[in-house]
Amino acid sequence: MHKIILAGEDSILIYFGSKINSALPKNIANFANTLKVEFSQLIINLTPSYTSLLVHYDLSKVNYLTFSAEVQNLLTNFEFSNTTEDSNLICIPVYYGFESGLDLERLLAEKNLNLDEFIEIHSDQEYLVYAIGFSPVFAFLGEVDMRIQAPRLATPRIKIPAGSVGIADSQTAVYPTDSSGGWNIIGRTVQDLSLKNPDNLNKFKTGDQVKFYPITREEFIEYGGQL
Amino acid sequence: MSFKVIKPGFLTTIQDYGRFTHGAHGLSQSGVMDEHAYGWANHLLENSPTDAVLEITFGGVELQTLDDCAISVCGADLDFKVNNQTALSWHSVQIQKGDVLSWTLPKHGIRAYLAVKGGFDTEVLFDSRSVNLRENIGSKLKVGEVLICDSSNIEFDHFIVPQYIPNYDKDVVLRLLPSYQYHQFSKAQRVLFFNQTYTISNANDRAGCRLNGVPIAIEKSKMISEGMSYGSVEIATDGLPIVLLKDAPTIGGYPKIGTVFSLDLAKLAQKQPHAKVRFELMDIHQAQKQRLKFNQFFGLD
Repeated sequence: MHKIILAGEDSILIYFGSKINSALPKNIANFANTLKVEFSQLIINLTPSYTSLLVHYDLSKVNYLTFSAEVQNLLTNFEFSNTTEDSNLICIPVYYGFESGLDLERLLAEKNLNLDEFIEIHSDQEYLVYAIGFSPVFAFLGEVDMRIQAPRLATPRIKIPAGSVGIADSQTAVYPTDSSGGWNIIGRTVQDLSLKNPDNLNKFKTGDQVKFYPITREEFIEYGGQL
Repeated sequence: MSFKVIKPGFLTTIQDYGRFTHGAHGLSQSGVMDEHAYGWANHLLENSPTDAVLEITFGGVELQTLDDCAISVCGADLDFKVNNQTALSWHSVQIQKGDVLSWTLPKHGIRAYLAVKGGFDTEVLFDSRSVNLRENIGSKLKVGEVLICDSSNIEFDHFIVPQYIPNYDKDVVLRLLPSYQYHQFSKAQRVLFFNQTYTISNANDRAGCRLNGVPIAIEKSKMISEGMSYGSVEIATDGLPIVLLKDAPTIGGYPKIGTVFSLDLAKLAQKQPHAKVRFELMDIHQAQKQRLKFNQFFGLD
């Protein structure tokens, strides 16, 4: 079930499964923590994703065969559990409106929903952080309710404002900074998730839960939001 | 204080060995593009091998020296001059207060490294001084900016023997480890990949080097995103390779045919668009042996 493959001269990739599964992010986070403890002198960097963990190790201290065997050994004896002690719930206020949600009007028509129904569906559930990447603090959250899923735009936008909340198929996310991108934009948060605030580096980690809650246009402006 | 920026150049940034331990936060490795030239630049000054240097791409840079300082310039020949006189590269050099350092245009290679004794003392951001423009971490050099470092006077005279100075005009062969999805590419696809000469496209930067050539037909063009190591080679939807470099995103969902050996990436870092590139298979034990030797020589172990 677990598989270790070569990823580079000083890195290996561990697969924990072949399909996206809500149990995996926590399993992978737990295993990553164990690796850090067991091989603190050997690990240089760890990059978790949906079903895998990229392990960058110090080739000056251990070679590929020895290190892979030791990781394999640790994997074989590891007891995977679905809970992480330090998993957080992060709440993010979102103004869902046509001004902030650039694709919202189109999505409502396509999905045959009214605004309140759409907001209710998107903000009702807790999402799991499956992966962090694309850019710093960009957390891939899932799974989006079938009723509001939508494919990426055929032509990505050149500039999406920081704080924009988007949907791409079964995933949703907040853009931490102004960037290009092809996700369907449904709203915007006033929360600064950029690295201008260095603490944001630790805002999300894989295995955390995220919940969006709707705020009004007035609240959005009052909290410093700009439209 | 030590240098005042008169001309910032096209793309000049502070870089060090890289930003590690933040893969889980989505931060790229960053750091110098040519680890070989960087290694020498610090080595010639008896610096720590991870000290921060100035990475000068293409040239267009002019700096005024505000304090006596020992420097070394390694990497590309960008027509480095001190007070308008051609100056030594791959050599420790003592410069004086008031001296003007300049780099104009690329003659051989494209990236030069300016090291100063003790390293540049810029702000450490997330455990590294490396600037990453894609991630808005730090910024390019600006007119009037002052680059801080210790003043220094050296007694020694260190240089690299000329036959060890790389020839950046030679075609590059990128040795590739059969990593990631290598075995999922068919024999015919691999033959096509290894038997052609690619050219570097215009769309190449610190994040990745895109290559032009005959596309490889791929059946499954997207997969579940996974961590991408330095030098891994994506085959994008158009069937063409992208070699992922220091500022690449941490995860991605294109299949990867292998990973280029790091010391060959150092050579690639010196190539212009339209340069020719070929791939050749390398095994992991050879790669580790050669990199270990490099690490030991420069004290990176």
